[in-house]
Formats: sequence, C-alpha cells, structure tokens
Amino acid sequence: MIGFVPAVTAFGYSVPQTVVLVFVALVVGLLLAVQFYLTIGLSVYRSVKQTRRDRVESELRGELLDRLFAEDPDWEAWVSDLSSVERDVVESLLDEHLRELDGTEAETLRGLGDALEIPEHAGRRLEAGDEYERLHALTWLTLLRRPGPYLDSSFEPRTPRERASVVTLLEQTDRLADEETGIAILLDGIDAQFTVFGQDTLYRVARRDPAPLLRTASEAYQTWPEPLLGQVLAVCAQLETSVRDGELAWIVAVLETGTEATRAAAADALASFGWRASLRYRSFLERAVNDPSPRVRNAVYGMLASWGDRAALDVLQQALAEETDPSALTAGMTALARRQDHFETDPGVMLGAAWDWSLEHVEYDRLARRAETRKVR
Amino acid sequence: MHTLAHLVATVVFAFGVFAVSLYALINVGYLLLHALALLELRDSVRESRWDPPFRKFASPFYPGIGVVVPAYNEAETIAESVQSMLSLNYPELEVVVVNDGSTDRTLEQLIDTFDLESVDAEVPFEVPAEEIHDVYRSTTYEELLVVDKENGGKSDALNAGLWLTEMPLFCAVDADTIIDRDALLSLVRPFLNEPTTAVASGGVIRVANASTIEDGVVKETALPKTGLPGIQVMEYLRAFYSGRLGLNRVNGLILISGAFGLFRTDVVQEIGGYRHDTITEDFDIVVRLHRYLKEHDRTYTVDFVPEPVAWTEVPSKLRVLSRQRRRWFRGMVETIVTHRRMLFNRRYGRVGTVILPFFVAAETVGRLVEGLGYVLLPLAWYFGLLDIEFFLVFVLLTTGFGVFLSWFGVFSEVWSFNRYDSPWQILRLLWYGVLENVGYRQWRAFIAWRGLFEYLRGVDTWGAMERAGFTTEDD
Repeated sequence: MIGFVPAVTAFGYSVPQTVVLVFVALVVGLLLAVQFYLTIGLSVYRSVKQTRRDRVESELRGELLDRLFAEDPDWEAWVSDLSSVERDVVESLLDEHLRELDGTEAETLRGLGDALEIPEHAGRRLEAGDEYERLHALTWLTLLRRPGPYLDSSFEPRTPRERASVVTLLEQTDRLADEETGIAILLDGIDAQFTVFGQDTLYRVARRDPAPLLRTASEAYQTWPEPLLGQVLAVCAQLETSVRDGELAWIVAVLETGTEATRAAAADALASFGWRASLRYRSFLERAVNDPSPRVRNAVYGMLASWGDRAALDVLQQALAEETDPSALTAGMTALARRQDHFETDPGVMLGAAWDWSLEHVEYDRLARRAETRKVR
Repeated sequence: MHTLAHLVATVVFAFGVFAVSLYALINVGYLLLHALALLELRDSVRESRWDPPFRKFASPFYPGIGVVVPAYNEAETIAESVQSMLSLNYPELEVVVVNDGSTDRTLEQLIDTFDLESVDAEVPFEVPAEEIHDVYRSTTYEELLVVDKENGGKSDALNAGLWLTEMPLFCAVDADTIIDRDALLSLVRPFLNEPTTAVASGGVIRVANASTIEDGVVKETALPKTGLPGIQVMEYLRAFYSGRLGLNRVNGLILISGAFGLFRTDVVQEIGGYRHDTITEDFDIVVRLHRYLKEHDRTYTVDFVPEPVAWTEVPSKLRVLSRQRRRWFRGMVETIVTHRRMLFNRRYGRVGTVILPFFVAAETVGRLVEGLGYVLLPLAWYFGLLDIEFFLVFVLLTTGFGVFLSWFGVFSEVWSFNRYDSPWQILRLLWYGVLENVGYRQWRAFIAWRGLFEYLRGVDTWGAMERAGFTTEDD
C-alpha cells in the first residue's frame, strides 16, 4: 500500500498491481456473496423444516400416546395418513420413547416401527450406506428388537462401533449364540479401542459369563493396543465374580509389567476378583504397593481394601504409613476407612492426621446418603 | 532534511512490505484453519447425531469428574449456580466450591442452602494454595465439598480445588457459568475414546446475555439486541467453530477456556497445578501441559468438542470489555514470553514449530502491526508515499476477507448445531460479522497496544467484571 512496485511480472507479462488487487477483491466479493446466500438459504431451510415439525409435534405426540394405551393401536391406518414431515416427526418420537419405555408399552410401540417400515429401510442402509448409515440402521433394529434384516444381509461389522452395535442387537434380541460368539465379534482381530458404548457392550456380554473374555484376553492381550487393553481390564474390574486362578495370570502379568495406565487398570481388575491364594505372595504385594507411579499405588490400595481380609489390610496399612503422594494417600485412606469395622485397634495411631480426615469424610458420605435415601422415600 | 525524509520513506516502505507479507501469511493460515475446522465439524456433527442404544447412566465406564468452582464475592448467585452444577447429568460427579476469601456472604449462603458442617480434621497434605481455613461437607448432598480459604486469586482457588477433589478428572468452571445439563457427557468423550492419552478437553462458550435462564438452565437462546454483546457472539462463534476446531484437527489446541475445560487431575497436579503469577491461567495451563508432556516424550491429546456448551455473560459496556481484553492481551504476551523456548523448537512438535508461532503472529504481532499501520498511514500520506488507489483496494480486500472469515463461523453454526434458529437472528449475526471487521477490529488493535504497554509497566490486576445478570422468564 505504501510505495510498492506498481506491477507484477510473471512469464514475461507485466500486470499493474492494482489490477491484481482488484481481481483478488472481486474474488473475495464473489466468495462473500456465495457465503451470504448459502448461510441465509440454509438457515431459512432449517427454520422452515423446524417450524413444520414444531407445528405438528405436539398433536402427533398426543395421538401416539393415545394409540399406545388403546386396545388396538392400529398403527398402519394411522401411518398411512401421515405426510412425510409427520412421518419424520413420528420416527423421532418413536426413537425417544423406545429409549425410555420397557415391557408391554415398548413392545406395542415396536409395531409402529414396523408400520413405518423402519426395519426394511434399515436393511437397505446396512447394505448400501456409509459407517454412520449402518450404525443408525443397527441402532433402529436394536430399538425395535428386529434382528431379521441384519441376519438376512451380507453385512460384516468392520469397525469397533459396528462390532458393538451388532453384538448389542444380537444380545438384546436373544440371538447371540453364546458369550463366546459375542466376545469373538467384539475382540477377534481388533486393532483399535472401543467407544464407551463398545466397552459397555463387552461388559454386558461378559457379565453373563466372564470365562470367554478372560480366556480371549489371556491369549491375545499382548497383541492389543494399550487403550484397548485398558478398556478390557476396566470391564474385568466391574465383573465381581469368582473365576479360576489360572484365568487371572495375565492380569497379574500386566500389573507387574504394563504401562502406568494398564498397571492401574490391572489393580482395579484384580480388586473385583477377590482375595486368592495365588496373590498372597508377600513379595508380589510389596512390589505392587511400591510401584513408582502414585496412580498405580492408588489403584493397588483400592484393590487391597476391596479384598478386605486381615492380611491385605495389614499390607495396606503399612504402605499408607509410608505414602508421600497426597492423592494416593487420601484415596488409600478413604478405601481403608470404608473398612474401619475390620479393625480391632484404631489405625489412626499409626496413620495420623490423614486417617482422621478420611474417616470423617466417610462418615459424611454415609450421613448424606442416608439423607438422600430419606428424600427419595 | 533530505536524509530524514529518505529515512522515513525507507522505514515506511519496509513496514509496508512487512505488514502486507504478515497479513498474507496470517490469512492463508486462517483459511487453512477454517477448512480444517469444517472437516472436523462435519465429523463431530455426524458423531453427535448417532446415539448408541445403551443407557449411559447405568454404565460404570464414565470416569468421575470433580467440578471445581472458584467463587469470590458471588453471594447473589452462588446457591443457584451450585444447585445447577449438582443437577448436571453425569454418572459420577463431585462439586468442589472454593470460596476464595470472599468479603460478602458467599460462604454463609452456601452453609445455609446446603446444610454444610465444618470438617474437624486438618487437611492431611500440602495444598499449593493460600491457607485453608475450613473444609465443609454437606449433610444432604454427598457430592458437595466446600473449601474456605484465604484470598489468593483464581489460579490459587483452582489449585485448592484440584488438590482436594478425589476424582480422576476435574472440570474448571467459573461460578457464573451456566453449563448445559448434558454437557459433561459430551465433554468427557475424548477421555472415553482415548483413555490412556487424553489429558484435556474443552467445550464451546456461548454468550448468554439475551438468552432466558431458568433454574440454572438456558430455556431459550436469543441473540443480544445491542451491538457490543452481539459482536462478541460473532467473535466467540468464529473463535470456537473455526479456530479451535481447526487446531483440534491437527492436535494443536493450545487454549481451553477457563470457564469450561476438563483435565486429568493427576497430570495437572504433576505439572504443579495452575501458576499463581499469571492472569490468563487457562492459556498458560494448556501450553504448560503441551510443554511438559513433550519434554517427557509422552503421547497425549488435547481435544476440543464442539457440542457441549457453557454459557457466560459478556461485557456490555465498552469500558469493561476494554479492561477484559487488555487483561487477555497482557496474559497472552506473558504466557508467550514465559514459554518462548517452545517457539520454532522441533522438540515441541507441531505445537512448537507451527501452532504457537502462528498464534503469536496472528494474535499478538499481527494486531500490534495493524495498530501501528493505522498510525503510519497518515504519515505515509503526508510524505506522499501512499498510493491512495492501492490503499483503498487493499483495505477493501482485507475487510472483505475478514468478513469472509467471520461469516465462516456463522455458516458453521447454521450448518451444525443451529442454536440461533431464526433466519432473522442469522441475518443480524452476519451484520455483526461486518461490524466486527469495521470498527471493532480497529478498536481491538488499539486495545492490544494498551495491553502491551500495561504488560511492560507490570500491571497485573484483573479488574472487576460488571454483570447485568441473566434474563429470566419473569423479565
């Protein structure tokens, strides 16, 4: 802008700089015009669509609920009279209610899904759509408890999310042959971690019988990426069931040799399987409570408190007396304080101020929980 | 005399070349960032529209979150704010309110409303904050903890909270921020998808000035009718839907708003918590996380999630806005100076070699150069060095491109979550996009210089935020 060379030269041609700038300004102007109309156009389109939906939604919701509680909902007759906007709104309402209702009402509502031909559409989306299309299709089939279109299709789940959706569909419709099959769909050849939905699905399947999961993990855990291993261990931590010693060896191995995150997850997992002879070795416990990571020690303290027997609590008490990390110390103390009824002598003598602090907080937790229970009643 | 004129001409010419080159560089960068943001937004929108068929509240896999709320003289609103935070939809939640030496009835309000009792036992570990007078527990809300401490500023209060929460994640929230009920369920997503690497995630801050708030929930979204808050709506949309989304695409997010961010508690404790000697603790903490984790060769992610929303009241008076923006600028300069070793340093990966230098060029140097330009232009004209025709075209071009980038934010809003659902509101937003580049932008350049002078003079005050209060249904 200030004393510039007045021309731009390229390939032997010389163009005045102002011409170049005017050209660029025209391009920017054109872009602005396109952007303006695109934004306003899209806004008007979405607004009109929303207004049309809002106009009919309340009436359709009322009609849907009336029919739901009528002796014969006659969904087909109702659906055949609906416009495309109304069908769209009814689909949304159906989705909303199917996620909230159980039992007979939910079963009656599923008839509306059939009347709207959602299973047929879902079947087509499974074959032709992209990943999100397929996920939406599987979700609809699960909500409607209609596994048919999936079973009839050639669709094979490829991503962790698709695997989880397929297992959920089969599990919710009692079409899962056994837990082994569910675990195989979820974990065989997988090279990426799950979303929380996938993890929850794995948990729901493993809760019915943890053996296949523990077996698969024992064979394949070394090949899994760290986040996936962490997720499987977190699932194990929720199982709270009795299993044979041999099936836990891989978790012990992770606790001894894994990364910080997986070591902590392994300690959480061992907490849920209870105190067992194979873990009684003092050297193993000492290594665990002396882990260099406060995060892992925190989890190990939780594990020992969860086992809750005399020997475990003794090791825990000793470890806490020497703990220097504040978060590990408080978490360990809180876990120990929840086991206060297991002590004949007051551990406060050995543990000092931290014990009083944790004990008082555990008392307040109980007090508030009782007040909340009274409120609910 | 002739030599002086020649010197002035040389300086002005050199400045012109530098300014135009910098402008071109910054805008090409922004254009790339906006393109990346569109791709990221497309993915986020598709992700958010798929609701998997499981019951989130029954799932045991959501990590616990401690919501840390620093409060200083918030007696008027604290009870409602805390009640609103206790009502957030999240499976495992703890709310830690830190009364930072308030001189009004903030603490008494909390004690009365939530049946608080003082914990007799001393805090058994060192907390890197000013002296803690008392810790309170509620006899009716298990998830509430209140800390009463000596005044030490926001960073100090946040440190007290993050050392006292037992949750693996903590969410730093301003006491006057309204969080959407389901926001934490979305904000936690990076920690669920990348459980071993995610260390921080940030959500969108929106302007609540004209929206209707009832029982701590935004009932109706509306665009402020006055210019100043309106322009800030535009500014926030551009910053979040373009800047942060684009940076997120390349794992280069270097700023998470202090009003709403989620962090891994142990990692923030590991780096010593928030620094006390900074006035933009939110910027500093994220840059320090990058720096520390890179220096320790750790794999990590810092994410931005465009869906979860927190609402805040923005200044509606120019005087207050000026004070806020000067503070932001001082803090930005201070953080950059503190972490200058990261600039162009390959050890810090993309953040050190590209993102931080670009940020410095665009948000710090760029604004100062722009401000200087407004001073030098009359000089250049006086000395006959200004090609008026060229200048006019250039101004049109820069303004047009600025508007184009601002409108990008509006388009992203309409295309994605469309909270301002009336086309009239969108039309007004587009108008604010023009105003942002004609008048407001020049004012910001002026404020940047004032902020720089204050930084050089060592000014470190926060200044009070004057609030008109949220709109309720009764209003």
